[in-house]
Order: sequence, then C-alpha cells, then structure tokens
Amino acid sequence: MPEVRASGRGALGDGAFRWLTLLAAASVLAILAFIAFSTTKQAWPAFMHQGWSFITSKVWAPQNNQFGSLALIYGTFVTAAIAVVIAVPVSLGVALFLSEQAPRRLRGFMVSAVDLLAAVPSVVYGLWGVLVLGPKLQPIYRDIHSVVAGVPVLGRIFGPNGTGQSFMTAGIILAIMVTPIITSVSREVFVTVPRADKDAALALGATKWEMFRAAIFPYSLGGVTGAVMLGLGRAMGETIAVALVIGSQPQISANLFKAGDTLAAVIANEFGGESTGVAQNALIGLGVVLFVLTIVVNLTARYIVGRAERRMQGAL
Amino acid sequence: MNENLTPTPGRDVPGRSHSLRGASGRPARRIGAAALGLTLALTGVACSSSKKSSTDTGSSGSTTPANQQLASATLNGDGSSFQLAFQQAGIAGFTALQPKVTINYQGNGSGAGKKDLGNQIVQFAGTDSLVKPAEESAMKGGAFLYFPLVSAPITVSYNESSIKGLKLSPDTLAGIFSGKIKTWNASQIAADNPGTTLPSDAIVIVHRADASGTTSNFTKYLTAAAPTAWTLGHGDTITWPDSQAGQGNGGVAQKISSTPGAIGYVDFSDATKSKLTFASIKNKAGEFEAPSLDGAAKAVAGTTIEPNLTYNALNVAGTGVYPITSGTWMLVYVKQTNHNIGEALKAYIDYLVTTGQKLATPSNYAPLPTSLAQSAVTQLDKLQIPSS
Amino acid sequence: MSALDELTPPAEQDLAPAVDVRVRTVSRGRKVRNDLAIGGLYVAMIVAVIPLVAVIWTVVAKGLSGFSLGFLTNDLPHITNLTDAQIKALGLHISTKPAAGPAVVGTLLITAAASAMAIPLGVLGAVYLNEYGKQKPFARVVRFMSDVMVGVPSVVLGLFIYSVWVLRFGQSGLAGAFALACLMLPIVIRTAEEMLRLVPDELRTSSAALGSRTWRTTCSVVLPAALPGIVSGAMLAVARAAGETAPVLFTVGVITATNASLSGPNTTLSLQIFSNAKSANPLANQIAWTAALTLICLVFVLTLLSRLISARFASKRS
Repeated sequence: MPEVRASGRGALGDGAFRWLTLLAAASVLAILAFIAFSTTKQAWPAFMHQGWSFITSKVWAPQNNQFGSLALIYGTFVTAAIAVVIAVPVSLGVALFLSEQAPRRLRGFMVSAVDLLAAVPSVVYGLWGVLVLGPKLQPIYRDIHSVVAGVPVLGRIFGPNGTGQSFMTAGIILAIMVTPIITSVSREVFVTVPRADKDAALALGATKWEMFRAAIFPYSLGGVTGAVMLGLGRAMGETIAVALVIGSQPQISANLFKAGDTLAAVIANEFGGESTGVAQNALIGLGVVLFVLTIVVNLTARYIVGRAERRMQGAL
Repeated sequence: MNENLTPTPGRDVPGRSHSLRGASGRPARRIGAAALGLTLALTGVACSSSKKSSTDTGSSGSTTPANQQLASATLNGDGSSFQLAFQQAGIAGFTALQPKVTINYQGNGSGAGKKDLGNQIVQFAGTDSLVKPAEESAMKGGAFLYFPLVSAPITVSYNESSIKGLKLSPDTLAGIFSGKIKTWNASQIAADNPGTTLPSDAIVIVHRADASGTTSNFTKYLTAAAPTAWTLGHGDTITWPDSQAGQGNGGVAQKISSTPGAIGYVDFSDATKSKLTFASIKNKAGEFEAPSLDGAAKAVAGTTIEPNLTYNALNVAGTGVYPITSGTWMLVYVKQTNHNIGEALKAYIDYLVTTGQKLATPSNYAPLPTSLAQSAVTQLDKLQIPSS
Repeated sequence: MSALDELTPPAEQDLAPAVDVRVRTVSRGRKVRNDLAIGGLYVAMIVAVIPLVAVIWTVVAKGLSGFSLGFLTNDLPHITNLTDAQIKALGLHISTKPAAGPAVVGTLLITAAASAMAIPLGVLGAVYLNEYGKQKPFARVVRFMSDVMVGVPSVVLGLFIYSVWVLRFGQSGLAGAFALACLMLPIVIRTAEEMLRLVPDELRTSSAALGSRTWRTTCSVVLPAALPGIVSGAMLAVARAAGETAPVLFTVGVITATNASLSGPNTTLSLQIFSNAKSANPLANQIAWTAALTLICLVFVLTLLSRLISARFASKRS
C-alpha cells in the first residue's frame, strides 16, 4: 500500500503518531534487554562466588553456601522430556482429529474444550496434582515397579520407593499443560497442507491413515517439530505446578518415581526465605540459567520451523 | 503457514475479510489516552499512599493496660511456623482488644524470620532456635531480647496405617532419619516394637525445605540422645539423605499425610490438626512417651532457664517427660525506633505471655510456667521505646 | 464452485467427494491399520479431555462447599488450629469460614492495572509493526523478539521486577502489575498484529485516496475494523495474567485484610491457592479449592467471551 507521506496539514500528527507506535514497538526490545541485563547483574555475585561450578556442581545447599545447579538442570530437562514424550502422541492425535476427522458441527465445541485445557491456570493444576493426583499415583508407581523390577533398563527408570511427588508426577502434569500448545500449533500446520496432495492420495486409493502418512506427515514434519519444541520450552519454564508436585529434593537419579527439583521450582519454593545475600543472588542466577535455556530451545524451534517453511515454499 | 509461533488457541484459520464497515467506532487513540489516564490515576493513588498518621496518645514506659486504646500501628513479623497457630490465635485475640493495631505474621521459618529481623524488614521474629554468635553481627538493629511464648512437643508423625502405636528409641530414630534404616520392618524398629507385625514398605523421610528452628531442635535432640548413631550434625538446615521436603510445619504435615510410608517431624499443633499418627519416643528415663502437652510442660519444668529467658527442653531427664520438646520465642530489638510500634509491640507481647496464655492449650501448645511468664513481663521493661 | 470458495480457507473441508471413488476392496491389513489409527485419534481426543474434566470436576466438587458471597468479600481468616467449639469458648472472634476477599480484590486490581499498561502499549506496537514497519529490519527484529519474550518463563519476569523495583520500593500490587504487564505485552502485540493484518488493504487505500494520512486511516478505519479481534486477543491475555502466580510471587507480598490500592503488599487468588496448597490444615485447603473455583470461573468466562467475540467477528466477515 503506498504510504501517503507528504508535507502539509497533518504531517506533524502523522510523524508524531508514527514515533509513538515505534516507541511502543521498541519497548519490547527495551524490556527484554532490561530483563537480561538486570537479572544477570543481580545474579553476578553468586556467579563470581561459585564460578563455573554453578552449572556443573550437583550440590545445591544454600545453608553451606554451595550453589550447584546441575541437579536442577537435570530435573528441568527430565520433567520436560517426560511431558513431551507423553504429550506428543496425544497432541498430534488430537490435532489430526480436529483437522481431519471431527464432525463439522462438533469441531468448534471440541476446539473449545482443548482451549479450556490451556486456560486452566497452572496453580490449579498444581493444587489438583498435589492433593488429588499425587496420592493416587503412588501405589501405581509401586505396582509398576514390582512388575518391571527385573528388567535391565526399565527396572531402574521405574525404580523402587516411588512417591506421589516425583519427576513422573511433575511430568504428567506438565504433559497436560503443554498438550494445548502442541495441538494448536500442529493443527495450524495440518490445516495448511495443500488439498491437492490429500485428494491425490485418496484418489490413488489410500485409506485415511495412509493419506495422513503420505500427504500430511511429510509436509508438516518441520512445523510439528517446531510445535513440539515450543511445548518443550513451555514445560521447562513452568514453575508453580511443578513446585507443588516435584518433591523438592535436588538430586540426579535415573529413577523417575523419585522426588527431584527443577530450576523454576526451587526459585518459587526458596525465594521467600532468603532475604539477602549470596543465596538470593544464587536464586536469581537460577533464573538466568533458565532464561538462557528456554531462549535456546525457542530459537531452535523457530529455526526449524523457518527451514521447514522455506522448504515447503520450494526455496530449499 | 504464517510465521506466527504464538498460538492463539481456538482461533480458526481465518479467511479474508470483506467487511466494508464505515469508519465508525472510537478511535484507538481515545482508548489509548483513556488507558494512559487510568494508569496515571492508578499510579497516582499508589504513590500518594496513605501513611497511617500517628497521634501520640499512648503512654511511654509502662505496659499499656488492656483497656487503654493504643494508637494505630502495624506490626509485621516473620519466622517460626512452629508458633504460627499460636500467633494467629494471639493476633485474633489481641486485635479484638486493640482494633487500631494490625499485626501480620508469616511463617516462613525461623531462619527467614531471623534474617528479616536482621535486615529490619519486620518488627519481630518468631524463632525456635537461638541466634548464633556468628549471626549476631547481622542483626542491624543492635541488641535483641528473647521473649518465651509457649512450648510444645515436636512429634514424630508417620503414615503407615498398619502400625498402631509405633515406639522408637533415639538410636532407631537416628537410623531412620539418616537413611540407614530403609524399611519399616527393619530389625531395630522390630526391637523397639516387640510383638507388632511390621510391613516391608520403604520408609520415606520428610524434612523441612526451609531454614527451620524445628529442624534445629530435632537434630539437636538426635545429636544429644543418639550421639553415635546420628552423624549429620544439627542446625536450621542440614544435608539430608534421600527424602522429601516440605515448606513449613504445615507443608511437612501435608506431605506425611499424602505419602504412604512417610515419616517426619511436625509440631504438635499442626500434626494434631492434620490428624497424623504419632510415634512414642523413648525418653531419658527409658519410658516410651507419646507427645502430649503434659509431657512438654514436664520437660520445661525440668530444665534450667537462662538469664536471657532461653532454655533447652530437649532430652530432659525425668518421668513423664516428652524428650523432644521445643520452646519458641519472639525476638525484638531492645531499641525501638517508633513510639506507636514500640508500644503496640510491648502490649502484644504482654498479652501473649499473660492473658493470651489461655489460648495455648486449646491450640495444642503448653503454656509457660508461671515464673517464666512473670520473668517475661519483667523483661518487657528493658525495651527502650522513644517517647513520641 | 463459486468464487466464494476461493476465499474460504483450504482446510477442514469434508474430504469425501460427491462421488466416492475410493477403492472398495482394501486389504484386511490396511483396513485394520486404518481403523486402529482412526480409533487412536478418538482415543487421543478422549485422553486429552479427561484431565480437563477431572480437574474441573474436582475443583467444583471440593470448592463449591466453601463458596458463598462471604467468600468473595470477607477477610482471610486467621488459620489457628482451634476448633469451632474452642473459639466460642474462648470468646474469640475468629471466622472459621473460608474467605478470600482480599485476594479477589487483589486479582482484579492488579490484573486491571497490568492490562491498562500492556494493552495500549501492545496495540500501538502492533500498529507500528503492521502499518509502518511491515517487513523493514527493525520491525522484523521486534517481531522476533516478541516471540522470544512469549517464551520467557513467568518466574523470570517476577525476578526481573524484584531486582529492579521491589528491592528499591518494596513489595506492592504495582510491582505485580508491572510483572504481569511484561507477560501480557508480547501476547497482545502478536495477536493484535494478526488482527490488523486481516483488515483488507482496500480499506486503507480507499481511505488514503480520500486524502487521510496514515494515522488518521489507522485510527478511524483500520483499528475499528480490527477491534473485535483485538479485544478477543486481549481478553485471552487478561485471562492468562489473572491466573498467573510466579510473576506475583515475590513482588506482591502477603496480607490478610483487603488492600484496595496498588501500593503496599497485596495478594491474589493464585497466590492464595499456592500457599494454601502446601498446608495440611483443612481450612487452608478449603480456601485453596474455593479460590481455585473462583479463579477458574473468572478465567473461563474471559476465555469463552473471547471466543464468542472472535466468532461473531468471523461470522460478520463472511
């Protein structure tokens, strides 16, 4: 659209309005930069105190001035991984269902249902998880372990002495919370698959499932990967629900039924008690580490999706 | 596919619009200006915060009688969750008599309370553990006083429905909480409970995540009563073996009640309210005592009170004594900086150690022995409150 | 097939054409795989909906008993461990009914303040991105950074405001509003930009042809046309902010009596749920459930209203 920018009456107003909106847009950059700067500055004493062992040591003991976050990074990744492993099949199934299978009249209703899943505040999921789900899951964990106890790898992952508040419970709650995101973005991807591809597959005699595999999946692989990584990023950053159900025991363990801790959960649980000093700076430092990790995941997601888009448009 | 990675859930992929609606409706500019004005107005309200105007009506020096109205003041406190329930009852009772005074008490743990008082963020701290000599320099307001409030048992609560009336000796207790005894049917537990069938479930230890006076007292008890079996030291926080952590006494109580096979240490008041099952602990006289207010009172009666009104009621000798009894105190600075706040503080402490003691037993705390309560009232005179 | 069909999105249409040309004799194996897969889709849908139903059911079942008008207005009760009988015997005036009046006021106040900051700023930013900046490098950087900012964990926003505001000015509702505004801003910018993009260029060019400048066009023509969509997106952002806990966790503080101003400590429904979820006191837990019920109602109403508005917008368009 040609920009009508000329001298005369109103040019000043136009210029002023333009600057106003530009400043508003720039505020995003300013705030983001400010966040990065001030949190790093606040956390700096803790980084200096601890050095690189801040992220390589697995001992988190503020009372002894030891601030190693490796166990917390481990917990963050493990719970997010569990969430993604559970959520991806379900989300993709739902997205396919909504875009291909759902009866037209019910589609809006079902989309609303998935949206409501996203609308429930995370603290409510946490409340439900700690008071209802966790206690119910503990006997199930013990039963699962008694079944797989002898099996080499499974026996260690689904280990003994499971408790309701553990990596696994946190992962399950996170799965529920990231499902709507993965579903929504995947649905947008599936919907843009060219109709010609789908019709061609069907015309050649494919069943619906075969049409999915032939026409939809190859086309949408990049976009879906991006969706999954978005969900991963969201799961890593989730604070409150995890803080309530993870068990608050910073440790690295292959046993998913054990209690653990994540970067965000430790911040939420321990911040109130530390008023000053290196301990508080260390907690802000955890926030910086989390910030960096989620940005890396989100940037990777954007890159993958961007590549997939260009490939779909034929540029690659 | 558009570049939008911000999913807007529920929005159907849109088509192109054909709306040719005229240019009616409020311009965004007006909405923006209105919103800006609203923000400015709200910020203006926020900035012109109504500070409570202090009118000097209280007398300086002597304790304000309950029927004399204090000027308005806000007291903020933080600290021990052990005394939280007693503080809540005390606040309700006191502010009914002195409606102009507002008291807020958070139970973030003794460690947080001492730190907050040290930084003068709060006017008083609740604590079950003493300020260490090394920490005294962090108390920026100078010298401080301990005012005893109540005492209570620290229960060892457990969640194992098949065991009724669990008995534990200090060595077994130390073994359990240091992670050396891993199952309920271990030989040491069986030795303490002859004739009881014990399940083979795993034991889940629950400890305090926050810096806690209850932890300090519990671990001090284990160090005193089981010196060879307990090697993890004592303090507001220690390094625990594989276990779960709860925030505050309430958090630990909640974890115990929702985790079968769990065992942890919780103050008597919270544990009773959550209907937890207690273990009976072997005291110095060799008897297995269940936690009770009577047992706590006997422990306090059987120990020496220091000149600064602190005492150690752990592992006290005598019959009928509950061995893990903890006192709990209010910490305040000697030098008060504000007249109204100082007067309110003085009146509040006076209330808690005199009239307010009747709230102790119903809340499941043991009231102070009369002599100790009187010493506390006398110590109030040491507070230096500015005269206006 | 009329010209209108080109305009409807090439998606989600029925795939079965008028004449069914699918091969009738599909091998058994292929048919079974197909049926399993399609069945799997139904299972996935059910599995996804089950937690929603379970959570809502539990919250309603446990929260309803504590709900009353008093819950929304009375001060937070002192949580003592006294029984009702003991309270009466001691002559204390302690309520044992769950109540979260200060939290309701706090949630509404802080969310409103955050919206007042984030929505105008976000809409103006979106106007820049779509009307002025378009594909210029600066605008592309802003768009990119908005997406990055959406992914910032909300707890980091809370730490940010703590570092720059709370340490200097103390905890307050205003600090919490700042943190929530940072949360809402990128969401509002991106959804508003989407909506502005949907406004057809014909409107802009006709307005320009009539001699009005860009700012006039934007304010009088484009924004009103996009308004329902923008409002819908903004309401989703508000719903999200109302439910957030982490940004307000260290910035807002704790109170028991209602604080109707943005200065000084405050509390929100989400904070009350969080702190009471960690307790074993039955009254505390009841407050948590009923506050959760209140919060869910608030958030659901906003979400469904948002969808209603955008659905009306969509139907108006075609």
